[in-house]
Amino acid sequence: MSSVGIKGYSYCLNHTPELGLHYGSTPFVEREAKGESDFLKSLPRYIQTYEQAAGYAPNQAYIGGIDYEAFEGAKTPWIENYLTNAQRYGRYGEIMPEDEFLGLMAICDVFDLIWLEKSFADEVKTKLSKDPVMNESIVARLKGVHELAEIETEVKDKKGRPLYYGGKIVGCVRNGHEIDDCLFAYVLMENLACKAGGVLALLHLLKNSGTKPEEIDFVIECSEEGAGDMNQRAGGNFAKAVAEIAGCVNASGCDIRGFCAGPVNALISGASQVAAGARKNCVVLAGGAVPKLYMNSRDHVKKGLPALEDCLGNFAVLLVPDDGTNPVIRLDALGKHSVGAGAAPQAVASALIYEPLSAQNLSFGDVDKYAAELQIPEITLPAGAGDVPHANIKMTAALAVMKKALEKSEMDGFIKKHGVIGFAHTQGHIPSGVPFIGVACDHIKAGTMKRVMIIGKGSLFLARLTNLADGASFLIEPSGGASDASKAGASRPGTPAAVSKEDVKSMILEALSEIVGKLS
Amino acid sequence: MGKLAGKKLLILGERDGVPGLAIEACLKDSGAEVIFSVSECFV
Repeated sequence: MSSVGIKGYSYCLNHTPELGLHYGSTPFVEREAKGESDFLKSLPRYIQTYEQAAGYAPNQAYIGGIDYEAFEGAKTPWIENYLTNAQRYGRYGEIMPEDEFLGLMAICDVFDLIWLEKSFADEVKTKLSKDPVMNESIVARLKGVHELAEIETEVKDKKGRPLYYGGKIVGCVRNGHEIDDCLFAYVLMENLACKAGGVLALLHLLKNSGTKPEEIDFVIECSEEGAGDMNQRAGGNFAKAVAEIAGCVNASGCDIRGFCAGPVNALISGASQVAAGARKNCVVLAGGAVPKLYMNSRDHVKKGLPALEDCLGNFAVLLVPDDGTNPVIRLDALGKHSVGAGAAPQAVASALIYEPLSAQNLSFGDVDKYAAELQIPEITLPAGAGDVPHANIKMTAALAVMKKALEKSEMDGFIKKHGVIGFAHTQGHIPSGVPFIGVACDHIKAGTMKRVMIIGKGSLFLARLTNLADGASFLIEPSGGASDASKAGASRPGTPAAVSKEDVKSMILEALSEIVGKLS
Repeated sequence: MGKLAGKKLLILGERDGVPGLAIEACLKDSGAEVIFSVSECFV
């Protein structure tokens, strides 16, 4: 089997401005190094309310609150044109408010690490009970309820990290070890937030795909967090921990890492296991990264713009055997940025885009959309990092010109037609192509797209193990192939069209008749 | 050899722009000495 069905998908955001103000790496490092600096004093004035975050067009596009086409048509700048009547829930998932997310983190804590103040916990429990993906047994996990004085002692004397809501301390994450920095309160908070995001995405995935938790066979988690202790710094395993909370009692799981290329590699790995029959099905998911909250806020504040990096991103995808009913990931057309491919942008684009297409006799124009690195440009442009999705599609168009598949004069049209506007938060692994899987599958099911390429790129060099970057890509198509040219060579000049068994039979009969004719 | 000959270079690359390794490769025959080269990621 070289194709695997995509049965379901979910996308959620957790609006967590106060986690960001205190534990996003940019504010956190500033506070540690300089105390309450002018930047830190200014930052709270630039944060968005929940209502603003919910009405921010890219956020609604992410959770499926608006269609991608409506997002493309949304008035820009989005920060000055918040959507009216924006809802918490979209067809892919939800934007969870911060108080409920702190409650969900406590639900995901099985080591008495998160303590919540009693009245706050009671309120949050009531709110969480109303979330359509929660059930009684999950909400009942919310324990660790304490008096505020106990929480303050934990923070003041025992190296716990406070949790805030509405500017007040409402809980804490307790320190996990005196010396082992892998178990310090900050790291545990980061990991539990990632786990909670993964759980929320998984619960929405189960709902969206009509799947019971016990039907899940395997889970692969692909965030950028590291869970472990000093003897096995990132030993894992987020996947199984997430599956446990969601009630997936028949599932096991493991984690796959690769910076921002993690999700695409994890999807290829999960799809391969399903294709081989090793797993009945496989969920690939990830929660978000607390340190990346307000990562570029220094530039946003400097320019008087809203600090938009206030949401953790989560996603989950359910892979099943290709039974002809779901859009599929093709495993015979994978892009791979090999060690020897080189670091130049055109070499990377060639390895990830041109090579898998040309191996299948496909051309650049045969792909409806290229989804690579979908960061929201209103976040990255003021920070000097450019419009990343636009830069990627521009490179793809330039490569198409180099390969003589496109005239230079056609580049702008190609970029507009085949590019994707960024609608994902700068959460590292989250924007790496995967947010477009839902849109792609919806369009393929509706017959309005026939082929989409998902591309992830990872900055491996950040770990100081290698100077190399990484990347991977795959194609999504209708089951059975796109009608024009999904089968290798089917529509290419000089290559034979696909033939059926009946065609072969009649050709043989024709040939035999000819021979008989010559003999007689 | 061009106007960079004999100069010392600090290279700051970016993954989705031009990575440090690619800039280094372009400047290989410039006669300049690369004393620091790095790629960063801001997303």
